[in-house]
Amino acid sequence: MEKTVSKTIFTVVENCVACKSCEIACAVEHSCSKTLAGAILETPLPQRRITVEGVGAYSYPSRCQHCSDASCITACPTGAMQRDGNTDAVFSDHDRCIGCWMCVVVCPFGGVTADPVNKKALKCDRCPERTAKGEAPACVSACPTGALLFLTPEEFAAQRRQATAHAAVCGESTTKLNGMDILRSLKGAN
Amino acid sequence: MKIVIIGNGPAAIAAAETIRGQDRSCEIVMLSRESVPFYSPCPLAEYVEGSVPKDHLFLRDPAFYSRSGIDIRYGRPVIRIEPQTRQVWLAGNEAVAYDQLLIASGSKAFVPPIPGLATAKGVFELKTLDDAEGILERIKTARRAVVIGSGFIGLEAVQALIRQGLDVTLLEAQAQVLPAMLDREMAAIVQQRLTAHGVQVHTGCGAERILENENGVRAVMAGGCEIPCELVICAAGVRADLSILEGSGIASNRGILVNDHMQTNVDGVFAAGDIIERPDVPEKYRVLPIWPNAVSTGRIAAWNMLGIATRHPGLEAVNVVRVFDTPIASFGTQTAEDCLRWQDGNGAVRKVLLQEGRVIGGQLIGEINGTGVLHEMMKKGIAAERFGEALAHPGFSYAHFMQPSRAVKWA
Repeated sequence: MEKTVSKTIFTVVENCVACKSCEIACAVEHSCSKTLAGAILETPLPQRRITVEGVGAYSYPSRCQHCSDASCITACPTGAMQRDGNTDAVFSDHDRCIGCWMCVVVCPFGGVTADPVNKKALKCDRCPERTAKGEAPACVSACPTGALLFLTPEEFAAQRRQATAHAAVCGESTTKLNGMDILRSLKGAN
Repeated sequence: MKIVIIGNGPAAIAAAETIRGQDRSCEIVMLSRESVPFYSPCPLAEYVEGSVPKDHLFLRDPAFYSRSGIDIRYGRPVIRIEPQTRQVWLAGNEAVAYDQLLIASGSKAFVPPIPGLATAKGVFELKTLDDAEGILERIKTARRAVVIGSGFIGLEAVQALIRQGLDVTLLEAQAQVLPAMLDREMAAIVQQRLTAHGVQVHTGCGAERILENENGVRAVMAGGCEIPCELVICAAGVRADLSILEGSGIASNRGILVNDHMQTNVDGVFAAGDIIERPDVPEKYRVLPIWPNAVSTGRIAAWNMLGIATRHPGLEAVNVVRVFDTPIASFGTQTAEDCLRWQDGNGAVRKVLLQEGRVIGGQLIGEINGTGVLHEMMKKGIAAERFGEALAHPGFSYAHFMQPSRAVKWA
């Protein structure tokens, strides 16, 4: 059977306003209760696998890129870090992870982090339970500005082409709002 | 085509799997010194500690070899290689012919020439599963242990033995712990942490003699004192195992010299894993016996053995160890013109070393997230001056490289 091209998470950096909705949604999704109210009462606290990184005036929701030649899988000496045969997502099996942090020190994106409480490698697993039901990963669903998208590469490319063509024909002023415009409009609304 | 692989570790398995993924028809023979299926030696200390069950050490299911069409031969140490006739000689005067040969027999523990160390009962290395089983048997009766060498394996062994309830003394011949990974200041932090967990740390103090009685080892002489113990773990480093090269004409220095195709100087002979030495990486890291390099070099060797020319992009020059749950990462060199540092007052310290505006090394204790980004900057030789002090901060991340590509500037 021909393998269908699976959807993956795309980031449109200029839409990010550093609201950190994705961080909260990610932690909640990876909690036991899967609700915000329940998650904040859990011990240990559920951890996020996406981090909004900021540099001065810029922000970027940083997470695992699910590389095709993933250095974390190569580096894992316990077989914990592996690729899902169906979705191509890279995930870590917590039962096998011994927290040696080899994946943390070889990931060029900083996509794997060390969980200080459970001593296990933490990374985006692309929400297998949600995607199995046909839903988008938690961070994508939570993103209010369209900075995170869950699409196939073809869909994403088509969307970007359309946006560029639209901008070329109609001029810059009518292009989609960017993060700063969204913030300004919110300020104006008050 | 008949491919013979000497070894059954990560480099050998990565190579065999890559070959099988490309070519169902060729014959693959693996010659293993040990008599157990492929296992990971990295969690052996955790196995001794009791936190990792034995079945988690084995990374392939029992049917792996037969399913992959690999003729695995256990307990067959190679004695010598004869490239003229394309043959490998095993113990017992048995010869195995090959068309292509991969040497991935790995490294062995270095045993310093200390009287009694190589022969006494109760002295172990921590390199193979047999070693770990031996230690587990011995700690049933042992109460006190001496660990010789404070490198990566030494510190893991110390931790495992402390958690098994033994009194542990750590001997390091050099002036500081982790001499290959850290500078003096960072090593002092690690030493403090070891002492706080009840380890007797003696730096600048090499073992001089192993003292024995009828039950095996009873003490170690070091610095003129007798340290009583029932168990000794020798962790004085690892060396590439080059004994099989004798008379083969395969060039070696501290390891087998290979080019970026993992080819040796002899036609049809490749090498990968702990046993190789690359002339193109920084001085200190000519031999880099870590798991990621074993796997990646094994794969590259496999491609080239199949005639698909593939270059290795460069070895990983990074290592990470935990000392009582504190992560310690180190990459590149330990001395440089400039050093950026960050600390949080809670014991976490990060140092990034720069030379001519480029990252050439780093040491991180306690807070290691983002080490991979710094390590990648070193590998790629990215100009780092524009990032300034932010480099050493834990918030330094991939986002710093996105900055110029961002369309939005916040007011």
